[in-house]
Amino acid sequence: MTAVVELRGLTKRFGKVTAVSDVSVSLEENRIYGLLGRNGAGKTTLMQLLTGQEFATSGEIRVFGESPVENARVLERVAFIKESQRYPDDFRVKHVLRAAPLFFPNWDESYARSLVGDFRVPLDRRMKKLSRGQLSAVGVIVGLAARAPLTFFDEPYLGLDAVARQTFYDRLLEDYSEHPRTIVLSTHLIDEVSNLLEHVVVIDEGRIVIDRDAEDLRGTAATVVGPRSAVDAFAAHRDVLHREGIGGLASVTIGDISDADRKAATAAGLELAPVSLQQLVIATTTDRTTTQQEDAR
Amino acid sequence: MTTMPATGVSGPRAPLPGLRTPATRLLNVIRLYAANPYTVLILPFIILLGILAVNVAIWVLINIAAGPQGMPQAERGLQYSGAGFYPFVYFLVVAVQAINITFSIALGYGTTRRNFYLGTAITFVLIAAVFAIAMGALGLVEQLTGGWWLGGHMFTSVYFGANWWTRLLVFFFGLLFALFTGSGFAAVWVRWKTTGLVIAFAVLAALVLGSVYLLTVSSSWSLVGAVFDGGPLAFTAWLLIPAGLSAVAGYFILRRATPRS
Repeated sequence: MTAVVELRGLTKRFGKVTAVSDVSVSLEENRIYGLLGRNGAGKTTLMQLLTGQEFATSGEIRVFGESPVENARVLERVAFIKESQRYPDDFRVKHVLRAAPLFFPNWDESYARSLVGDFRVPLDRRMKKLSRGQLSAVGVIVGLAARAPLTFFDEPYLGLDAVARQTFYDRLLEDYSEHPRTIVLSTHLIDEVSNLLEHVVVIDEGRIVIDRDAEDLRGTAATVVGPRSAVDAFAAHRDVLHREGIGGLASVTIGDISDADRKAATAAGLELAPVSLQQLVIATTTDRTTTQQEDAR
Repeated sequence: MTTMPATGVSGPRAPLPGLRTPATRLLNVIRLYAANPYTVLILPFIILLGILAVNVAIWVLINIAAGPQGMPQAERGLQYSGAGFYPFVYFLVVAVQAINITFSIALGYGTTRRNFYLGTAITFVLIAAVFAIAMGALGLVEQLTGGWWLGGHMFTSVYFGANWWTRLLVFFFGLLFALFTGSGFAAVWVRWKTTGLVIAFAVLAALVLGSVYLLTVSSSWSLVGAVFDGGPLAFTAWLLIPAGLSAVAGYFILRRATPRS
């Protein structure tokens, strides 16, 4: 496997705020990654660092083996579609679609045209006059038609309706299978994309808290439900991500549950339920103190 | 996903091959500006012709007021028209606008700051050439038609020189000055926003006041006089020095700028 992205000890501070803190991660070729986390967790900053738009405070970044900063050879292999992309004031959709192919060597014009139809984007409309959803659709069209070997989608579907979101997921998967590349989807709409993701990276307050294969992740976490005393006894020496309770009942989310654990839980009369990716992310990125306050209520 | 080896990121690989030639990368920045020619080409032309139209209206009024007898004298006054200066001011704004609104999308689409700035500089030279030729041509028409049949002077005012080729160069140098001064301020704006511009203007004001002070205490105002005495062409050629300084400063300022939403 070839690593497309390698980060080591990457840190980015803005004044006193540490947006990205000591991140070491590597992304492999031709996989779909989910970069998940809450608003302000550092997702966008991390991607800006990876695309040379921000300068790292410390640490090392290698994209295709080289630093991306001011590196045209790296950057022409990367597409970064961000929710906050600004366009020149007088640009219409057609101007964006005229400009984008200049910068993406693998651009597929006929595919772009068909995506414009799929998403029903008005070519003659000014970018400023587009709805939030249409603006997102333009980003999605550019990101898919660019066919960049490394493609970042930062919150690509803000404002997209359910049909358009489904279209995005379908087109992404189809095109990915025909033209494999490394795709990083950053989002907080986790459940919707969880089936697309092959690998999950969760970032919280600038730190990586989960970095695992999506399949593994789904298999290893579980929620254990039952009488409070039995649940507490079971959870005592295990990796508890999240805890909830109503009256005499309690449920805990265990991060790493083995087959032996499962047997032990069943033997103790506890019920095991699968944990969705979204629940898992919520569990790992919720402040412990808030959880306890919720318990107390 | 593999755990990173303790030694750090993987060792050196063969350098990545380029997918585009360096020249194509610069050309693509020019084509980005041309993707929608409205801001840098069409609107400036509309404004230029709009200023001409307003002037024509004024010249008509002057012709009516002065009458056939008074016109020769009035025309001597019209030679000192400052209307032709508006395009230069406007182009300073065009430069700031162009860089400010294009930087974000250029970087968003993977252009390096270096290629963006160099491509922008080439674009600006092209714009200056196009408009110098256009204004030079309008000046010729103005000359041949006796000031649009009204004795008016906009492109042939005395400030621009006595013949067509002087005017052409004066327009070209003047536009270069406007565009590259603009690109310096634009880089300050893109990198530091309002705070940066306020400080930049304060520094500029201090420099101007300092020069005035030095010229006065050393009784060297004759040097300044010499610059103006050289005529329009020599004067605009001198302007290329601050324009060049601004352009170079803009480059280094923009090299560390980040696109903000």
